[in-house]
Amino acid sequence: MRLWRVILLVNLALAVGLLLGYLAWGRALDATQRALAELRGQAVPAGVERVLRARGVVRAVVPEINVIVLSHEEIAGFMPPMTMGFRAQEGKLLDGVEVGDVLAFTLRGVPPNLVLTELRKEGKL
Amino acid sequence: MTAVAAALRWAHLLFTFLLVGIFGLTLLAGRATHSTPRSWQARMLTWSRRAALAALGSGVLLLAVQAAHVAGRAGAALEPSAWIGVLLATQFGAVWLLRMGVILLLAALLLLREREESTADWAALRVEGWLLAAGAAGALAWAGHAAAVEPGGGLALAGDLLHLVAAGVWLGALAPLAALLRAAATPAGADGRPHAVLVVRRFSRLALAAMLTLIATGLWNTWMQVGDLPSLIGTRYGGLLLAKVGLLVPILALATVNRRRLIPALSGEAATVGRPAMTRLARFVSFECLLALAIVAVVAALGVTPPGRHDTPWWPLSFRLSWEATGGLPGVRTRFLIGSQIAVVGLLALVVALVIVRSRLLAVAAGLLLLAVGLGTALPPLSVDAYPTTYRRTTVPYHASSISRGLELYRGHCAACHGAAGWGDGPAGAGLPRKPADLTAPHTAQHTAGDMFWWLSRGIPAGGMPGFAGILSEDDCWDLINFIRALSAADGARMLSPAVEPNRPRVIAPDATIALGPMPAKSLKEFRGARSVLLVFFALPDSKRRLDVLARSYETLQALGTEIVGVPLDGGGGVLSRLGGDPPIYFPVVTEGSDEIARAYGLFRRTLSPEGMTPDPPMPSHMELLVDRAGYLRARWIPGAGGPGWASLPVLVAELQQLNRETPAPPPAEHVH
Repeated sequence: MRLWRVILLVNLALAVGLLLGYLAWGRALDATQRALAELRGQAVPAGVERVLRARGVVRAVVPEINVIVLSHEEIAGFMPPMTMGFRAQEGKLLDGVEVGDVLAFTLRGVPPNLVLTELRKEGKL
Repeated sequence: MTAVAAALRWAHLLFTFLLVGIFGLTLLAGRATHSTPRSWQARMLTWSRRAALAALGSGVLLLAVQAAHVAGRAGAALEPSAWIGVLLATQFGAVWLLRMGVILLLAALLLLREREESTADWAALRVEGWLLAAGAAGALAWAGHAAAVEPGGGLALAGDLLHLVAAGVWLGALAPLAALLRAAATPAGADGRPHAVLVVRRFSRLALAAMLTLIATGLWNTWMQVGDLPSLIGTRYGGLLLAKVGLLVPILALATVNRRRLIPALSGEAATVGRPAMTRLARFVSFECLLALAIVAVVAALGVTPPGRHDTPWWPLSFRLSWEATGGLPGVRTRFLIGSQIAVVGLLALVVALVIVRSRLLAVAAGLLLLAVGLGTALPPLSVDAYPTTYRRTTVPYHASSISRGLELYRGHCAACHGAAGWGDGPAGAGLPRKPADLTAPHTAQHTAGDMFWWLSRGIPAGGMPGFAGILSEDDCWDLINFIRALSAADGARMLSPAVEPNRPRVIAPDATIALGPMPAKSLKEFRGARSVLLVFFALPDSKRRLDVLARSYETLQALGTEIVGVPLDGGGGVLSRLGGDPPIYFPVVTEGSDEIARAYGLFRRTLSPEGMTPDPPMPSHMELLVDRAGYLRARWIPGAGGPGWASLPVLVAELQQLNRETPAPPPAEHVH
């Protein structure tokens, strides 16, 4: 075989090798990104009833409409930390809850319609 | 271990460069027709086979060393599992696989020993060889420090890639060139002289281009990896770079002699001029080659040394030049202006000397003299005292907790001499040889944080200040320096009023941790670029009515892009319960660590009123500070300190609107300089 043909073949092999390597790299990257997305909880199915637990501190209580406003930590797989209102399942749940109470609370429901079903006082701020 | 790694890198770099150089040089003058250059070209092919195998071998050993390095134990160098781990999970591994694949391909091509039936075959093999070798050399950029530069990594990689390929083109061709010259300089190799002369002429031009590329990309890489003068002359990495430049100087001198004297003489009469010139040129090229080996050794050492940017510079001189510190002094600007003009004239004379032929020596002498006089006039006024730690970078950020710790340390160790307010008027300072420094004076700008670090740890013997190296840890010293910085800033902040001074951000707001119950702690810095912040320092029950007003206006202020952060001045125990829910307060209130924020920001209580000029003015029970989007303190309101201030909300809203109209200032520097 003529030498220049050998070299042509070598370059062809090099190009194919690079292409395969590039594709493999892209697949590895995809897999990593999928794993990351799952870790962040973005892959949670919609329309399914869920039970979520987190901690927060009471900023306001509005018994007339069964609502308390909490500054809460991240609710894993649902929402980042923020200050917002939550509706209690029943009014008596909020009896004795005061501004400054640190609560461990449970939310139940199909997102985004969740209600507060349980709470436990952990301290006072 | 690092020595072995450096030695292997050295060998591997050399073989890779040699491959680039061999093919580049052979291609310069085409396929040889006479027997001496033919045998040289055959020899180069043999060299290239050996170099490719040696590059593969040293590459495998490098992988073993890297495996041991990653695993943290020498035994891992021989474990296949450790090798696979490095190959599949690290960037070094990916680059290694790619490069070794390329070199393997090259080696296979060379070992095939296909017959070269035509010039096309001949050229194809060498062009392919050059491309593969240059690829293997250039890809090294991804396995070096350049791959770690963030941001702007692409430009750093491009610079390093060009540098590596140019190094191969020039440095790798030296040994093959010496071999050719030696062969052609003998009486038996006389038939090779025309070919050798052609190669030398063309290589001379190519080498000049490669050298210019090397210098330009070298400067660029230095900027990327070192960044400033202190890191260049004060770190190991910088020292190695300077050693590299030092080795380059004799090479450049030799190259100049070669170009000017020897190359024109090559085609002279063979016995008397041409052959001796070629012998001498062969010797000079061999010597250049030796120096190049040393340069690559330095490069290999650089590869295993942390870049100057990420190292702590140890300033070796007792002075430094600083425009910031001296530009305001009388006469400095004038002297600098005059001196720099003289120096520019000197430079012009040197440029002219390059062009003219007659009285060149005179022009050079005059140019050098003017340059020396100019620099001698311009630079000395800029010099200020410096210490080994002058360019130390602080490891402790400018943060309320650090300032608060610094305040405690200051009270314990410094206040006796420097005074409670830092004015240099402490009772114990009276008997000292020199009055203790006023730490709030504007001249603190002349000193770097590293200067202060030196004085704190070693003391100032002439002034009677003791060194605290044995008493305070390094972090303690940086806490104190952050405190002194805040103290000096607070002195400048005395003129803050409820009215924002348009476009004049001056006082940097120290960072602070805003922790509210179970919510993840946020730092004040996170608001930069997004929101302005109204820091409300309050004590109950005095501040209750004001907080009610703010609670009701929270939505309005948020709509203006402002966050309110409440910081209790009285410890913060049960602060949310004490604030109560009527009206509900939705803005963040610091429930943990509020005392250190209060203590650090308490420094900013000092105003221009007569009370603010006393050493220890009382802490007001309520104070509001406005931090703009860039992170600067822009306005302050203390109720009862003259005028209604922000008691009326529209006044506050007007100030926020003023901030919103401004073009944002650049964010403040992270550390003291």
